[in-house]
Order: sequence, then C-alpha cells, then structure tokens
Amino acid sequence: MEGIDVNCLLGHWPFRKIRKCTFGDLRSVHAENDISTGLVSSLNSIFYNDPFEGDNELFDIIKSSGYKQVLTINPLLPGYAYDIKEGMKLFDIIGVRVYPGYHGYDLTDHRFETLCDILTSYDLPIFLTMRLEDERLEYIIEHKLMKLETLTGFLSNHTNLTTILLTIRNEELLYLKDILYSRPNVYYDTSGLKNQLFAIEKITDALGSKNLLYGSLHPLFCLKSTQLLVSKAVIGDQAKKDIFFENARGLFEL
Amino acid sequence: MIIDIHAHIWRGRYETDKTEIVKACNLYGISKVYVSGLHSQYPDEAEIRELNGEVYRFMQEQPEVIGGFCYVSPRHPTALYTLQKGVEEMGMSGLKLWIAAFCDDPSVFKLVEKCISYDIPVLVHSFYKSNGNLTDETTGVNVANLARRYPEAKIIMAHLGGNCYHGIKAVKYHKNIWVDISGSPFRRDDVDYTVEQLGAERILFGTDMPGSYLVNAGQIEEAQLSLEQKDMIYYLNAKKILRLE
Repeated sequence: MEGIDVNCLLGHWPFRKIRKCTFGDLRSVHAENDISTGLVSSLNSIFYNDPFEGDNELFDIIKSSGYKQVLTINPLLPGYAYDIKEGMKLFDIIGVRVYPGYHGYDLTDHRFETLCDILTSYDLPIFLTMRLEDERLEYIIEHKLMKLETLTGFLSNHTNLTTILLTIRNEELLYLKDILYSRPNVYYDTSGLKNQLFAIEKITDALGSKNLLYGSLHPLFCLKSTQLLVSKAVIGDQAKKDIFFENARGLFEL
Repeated sequence: MIIDIHAHIWRGRYETDKTEIVKACNLYGISKVYVSGLHSQYPDEAEIRELNGEVYRFMQEQPEVIGGFCYVSPRHPTALYTLQKGVEEMGMSGLKLWIAAFCDDPSVFKLVEKCISYDIPVLVHSFYKSNGNLTDETTGVNVANLARRYPEAKIIMAHLGGNCYHGIKAVKYHKNIWVDISGSPFRRDDVDYTVEQLGAERILFGTDMPGSYLVNAGQIEEAQLSLEQKDMIYYLNAKKILRLE
C-alpha cells in the first residue's frame, strides 16, 4: 500500500447526506484501494465562522495516524496569519487550503495576495480548490467559478509559491498548459479529470506525469472512480507510480 | 457482463468516438454499448438522418458490441417515419429523446405510443441544473408526467435526472421509469441514494461515452451493493428492458 491521496476531507457537508464521513470510513476506502495515507482538510472549517475551530476538531481525529493536515484559511477573516503559525506549531500542517469560490473573493484580492506572500515566506504550499461539486448540482449556495485568466495571472505572479490545483478539469488544465510548462512547482490532482474517456492518458500526453497527484475528493466524490482512472490508464508503470505516490512523496517529503 | 445503455457518437467525431468506444470495450470488458448520435439542440431533418446513419454504420461495423437508439426530434413532421426506419430497417433498440422538446410535450406522444407498440424503451435525457436549464431541456418532473400519461411505456430517465435528489424524487412512484447512471456527476453517494429510493432493479448502467466510463464503473464498485444488485445494474435490468436473451 503506497498511494497518497492529496485531496480528502472530513466533517459535515450540509447540502446532502454523506454516507462515508468518518475517519474510519476514509481509512477503510483507502485500504481497499491501496492508499496508505492522505492529506486531509476539514469540511467544517469551510463553514465555521472561525475555521480554526474546525481544524482543532480535525487534529483531534487524525493525530498520530500518519495522515497529514491541510489547514483551511479564509483570508477575508482577521487573525488568519496567526492561525497559520499556530497550525504549523500545533498540527504540523503540510499546507494551507483555500476556497475562493465559496468564501467569495477573487485571486486578485489584496488580502489573498497577502496570504500568498505569507505562505511563500514559510515555504508552505497552497491548495487551491477549484470546486467541491459539479456547478450544475449545487443546492442553496452556488460557488463562484474561478476565471481561468485570473488563475493564469495568479500563477504568473507567484512563481515561488508551490501551488496544488484541486479538482481542476481536463480542459482547464489544457487552457493553462503554457503557464504550467513554465511553473514546475504547480501541481494538480486527479479528482476533476473525469469528463472524458482516457482523461489521464490525455493529460499525461500533454503535460507529463511529474506534476499530477492522486486526489479523490472523498467523501464528496467517488474515490474508486479516480483510483480506476489511474490504475487502468494506458500509461507506463512509472507514470502510475508518479501519480499515485512518488510525486506527492517528493513534494511533501512524506 | 456489462451493458452500457447510454453512449454517443457526436457529429463530426465519428472516427474519434468510434475508436475510443471500441478501445474502451476491449480494455474494460464492456459487452455491449447502445449508442445514439447527437449534435445540435434543434437539428434539422438532414442532421437527424446523418446522425442515425452514423449510428447504423457503427452497428454494422461492430455488430457484436454496438447497438443503437434511434434519435428523433419530435418537432419534425417526419419524426414517426424516422423512428419506424430506425427500428424496422436499422434494427435499433429504442428511441432517444434529447433537448429539442420536453419529453411531455404533445409532439412526443405519437412516438411513445409507437414505442409501446414495439415494446422498446424511450431513453430521455433529463437534467435538472441549479445554474439554469436549456429551453426545452427535460427534468425528472417532465419524465414523471410522461410516465403518468403512458404507464405501459418503458421509460429510461438518463443521468439519474442530473441531480439525483431532484430527478429520483420526481419519478420514484412511477414504476415504468428506470434510471441510468450515465454522465459527469461524480458524487460518491448518488448510487446508494438511488438504490435506497428506487431499488437496484430500476437502475441501468450507462456512461455517456465518450464522456466517461471508469467514473461510472467506480460509482457502482464503491456503492454499498450486493453482487446480485451489481449484476442487476451492470446488465440484468438492461437485458430485461431490451428483451435480450
């Protein structure tokens, strides 16, 4: 069991019943799919007025398990810089996850720029969430879609900030192809690469396998779907190893 | 055994789509795929002829693995003739309705009546979108209306109605409606929810190829299903509705 899942969540998702929402469920589905560990964020932190409270809860659940914590930050809230320091000290966080489309800011917002500068100074990666649901299926809250031109600008301006694009789609990655060629420290996960046959083959053909990380978006998306996409892909064994664990192991020093 | 009830050849992509679908069948062990041709929302009659012609060509080239659904725009005066030709001359297995008209529009009725007489299913695109439906795009509510009018019709609501929490609730009590899981909604719980609401015997395996395949297979594999339920979804229900033996 060697796989590393860089995109998993624990907590409550208020829009529908989540059947596999405990840490035990996560470990169980990981074990069934040869995944040994994961980078976990708190679903609760997305919705809490003080996201750090959700991360405290998450830490209590996953501490000593070998799973790594990704701290949720909303840069529109005061005091987040202190939360990052605390997260590094108390939770040994591996990065910071942001949700611009849900928290309602643009990547050009000066408060987000400040967050990026702080993360760069700590050499902490940013996990940039493109979406948590298919846009057509949302209920009550509609997240704001990220403009790809704005994302291109962000990637051009923050060349020293290691960035992981989560739940990005094939066509979005291909749009970013030129900037991705020039940014070896920009990575992307598998959880959104699903809306065409041979999606992994097409992305590795276009961009190689060195920046693609296995991510499931469990428990919102189906983990087995992404596991099959990679394990059944007609790509070399080394490329599969890159995606399932070697890229993440090198990037996060796991 | 795996029967995919819902796949497509898109106009202008015949060779690409055909190659990918055949490759997927070989790689993933898919036994049979039912294909329809699609392109514009309001196709003219020539486009419909071309699309059904391409599906027929695919059926001829790959008779072991490819079956067809006849795509019809109910708006055309020749709609009934198109269906007759598709079923009687081309050997297609059902009617495909897409987004040219709501499925409970009166223009659809004669087509459904013909399908009842053939004892073939009507595959209806259905998608409730929180960010806005197309004009004339069917949702589960329209499918339920059609089923209520024609309880003897065999209706397949595609994509679980898009958002299953909308579509499944709308059609739950209409026993002549089956649902397919095809398409790009990737959520983990959709299949479990649908089994709880409808039972496995009303769920068909579909993919929307070339849109996806492993995504849908993964959803079945990860859902809390017995082997019997998986078999029902993967092929037994399709065999029953298509009268395959």
